[in-house]
Amino acid sequence: MIEIKGLKKIYKNVTVIDIEQLSISNNESFGLVGNNGAGKTTLFRMMLDLVKPTEGIVIIDGKNVQGSDEWKKQVGSFLDEGFLIPYLTPNEYFRFVGNLHGYSTADLKAFLEKFEVIFHGEINGQNKYIGDLSKGNLKKVGIAASFIGNPQIIMLDEPFENLDPTSQIRLKELLQAERKLRQVTYLISSHDLNHVTEICDRIVLLEKGKVIKDLRGSNTLAELESYFKG
Amino acid sequence: MINIFLSHSYKRFIRSVAFGRELTKGIFMALLALMLIAYALIAGFALDGLVTKVFEQPDSLLFVNRLLLYYFVFEFVMRYFMQNVPALDVQPYLHLPIKRTLIAHFLLSKSWLHVFNSIVLLLFTPFAFTVVAGRVGTTYALGWLGSLVILSWVLHYLVIFYKKKLDDSIWGIIAFGSAFGSLGAADYFQWFKLSDVSAIVFRASSTIWYVLVTGLILFFFLYRLNFQSFVSSLYGDDWSNKKNSATEWGKYSDWQFLKGFGAYGEWISLEIKLILRNKRPRTFLFLSGFLLLYGLIFYNDGGNSQKMPGFSLFVATFITGAFMINYGQLLFSWQGCHFDFTLTRPISVRHFIESKYWLLSATMLIAFVLSLPYAYFGWKIILVHLAIMLFNMGINVFIMMNIAMWGPKRIDLKNGDIFNYEGIGAAQYVMAFPILLAPYVFYLPFSFLVSSEVGILAVGSVGLTGFALRPYLINLTTKRLENRKYLIAAGFRKE
Repeated sequence: MIEIKGLKKIYKNVTVIDIEQLSISNNESFGLVGNNGAGKTTLFRMMLDLVKPTEGIVIIDGKNVQGSDEWKKQVGSFLDEGFLIPYLTPNEYFRFVGNLHGYSTADLKAFLEKFEVIFHGEINGQNKYIGDLSKGNLKKVGIAASFIGNPQIIMLDEPFENLDPTSQIRLKELLQAERKLRQVTYLISSHDLNHVTEICDRIVLLEKGKVIKDLRGSNTLAELESYFKG
Repeated sequence: MINIFLSHSYKRFIRSVAFGRELTKGIFMALLALMLIAYALIAGFALDGLVTKVFEQPDSLLFVNRLLLYYFVFEFVMRYFMQNVPALDVQPYLHLPIKRTLIAHFLLSKSWLHVFNSIVLLLFTPFAFTVVAGRVGTTYALGWLGSLVILSWVLHYLVIFYKKKLDDSIWGIIAFGSAFGSLGAADYFQWFKLSDVSAIVFRASSTIWYVLVTGLILFFFLYRLNFQSFVSSLYGDDWSNKKNSATEWGKYSDWQFLKGFGAYGEWISLEIKLILRNKRPRTFLFLSGFLLLYGLIFYNDGGNSQKMPGFSLFVATFITGAFMINYGQLLFSWQGCHFDFTLTRPISVRHFIESKYWLLSATMLIAFVLSLPYAYFGWKIILVHLAIMLFNMGINVFIMMNIAMWGPKRIDLKNGDIFNYEGIGAAQYVMAFPILLAPYVFYLPFSFLVSSEVGILAVGSVGLTGFALRPYLINLTTKRLENRKYLIAAGFRKE
């Protein structure tokens, strides 16, 4: 359960986020769309306590994210390359994150097997540092690592960008399969309206930091398309 | 075409996003070069006087000749550390109708415009015309000078070849340095005299022409060798990708025993990987190793240092804290590229700070143990080292960590140049002062009022107190990082 109350971020008199109230319930699949500069990434960063709100709070499982570390076990996230460690090989990175979550070797192996469908033999066991991987492979490593520890909430920024078509389709399947397996809340931002409406049952549209549409149901895609055409 | 390359290089510099920084760096480098040139020139004019008066050698030419081989060894090592493989951002030119050979020639010729290539000329020209010409005539003097210059230029291309072919093999240079170090020792104890060989090779007589010709042949040979290696490696991926995937260092960086320390062990082991797998922190590590020898200069003076133990505090801070000062000044910048990761993963800021504390403390303990042989110059030195090590662990580490939080900048770990000023801000320039001066705050009052021994004791006790209050000091540091983390994270996100 994520609650946002009176959240505001102002940079030099420009309001980039202004959300009165927004709550995301457990097991919800939440999509965030909006043009460049709408404030998607800033919102995610504030939810992860990476950017300090000018006003307001973000509450995860009843606790303010600011000043606590407990939510970190329950939230897996991948926003950009700042979430990866360039001088480790992918396997070392997974092992490192796994250890933070108390993974055993067997847990790690099961995890790697699950993601092999998108890794495609290019990541697991490769003797190459993350810093030397291609953009697409970087993304795969980051997305996979956000699943380590089976967190209740998984937050991904543009997960489909830079992925090849096969991986895009498989990632979609993987995300959906995970929801059938266990309780998980997704927060996904994307510019790809088809993908995001397919995965998410709730879409929030941001414009200049404000929530201007909160959509559910089958009509979502059409409504989004008409907005973005405008 | 060459003009276009030059103009592109110029535009790249002028229009760079980081123009201010580049300019500062450029001015700094130019000043450094001017300083080197001035020193070389002064040394050049003073050479004869220096040899005859200070070293009291009757035959200054013979003395210089004896040392020349050693000089070239020294120059080679200096070049190794200060000279870079010439690089041009070749990617945008490769697909255009420009001959590869032209690019290679351009790179190699441009590299030749290096301050080091003028040093020999500046250092030995006055000597050649005053002393050598006076002794053996102008022709031989010119031959002598020419040989020296050409050999120095041979070194220029040798270093490029060495660095390009044996990328990063610092062991090579260490082996080379120590081999000549032992030859020097053998010379000193008169077992084998390399200096005699040197004197024969550089004797300013008819044999000097052989040296000159050999030098010229070597020069063209090495140029050709470099040229071929450049032409064959002018591929985009060769210049960018290969560098960091050197797993030679990776092999030695997985220290399993650290796993026993739980979460701290994980983070310390991560940081060890960072240090060993990236060139710049690795250079800092080697530099700190060399700084262990710093004491040889100061303690090896027949007991003078014993008379002024106040100064040895300074030396001791360097010896035991070299790595803390060098590496610690950029403490948070090293991991700046994944600071967001650090903040969102299940690890508390306190653990993060504590893992850094133990890593730095461990390096100081290691430096202390390695510096134990200084007991040879007097056991009191060890006491000073111990007091300072405690002081570093109890006080200085915390000073360092707190100043390092002051506007840290992002570092591109792949860039390994020795003159890479990335990540250096105002904080880094002033950082060394409080750390070097802090021990004196406690030493001076006691040494004036009571005695220097009590002063040292005071420094050690303060350090021990700080060490005992560690949990509290770590808490303070943690709080400060928690307050500043948004600012720091925003700074790291900027390219």
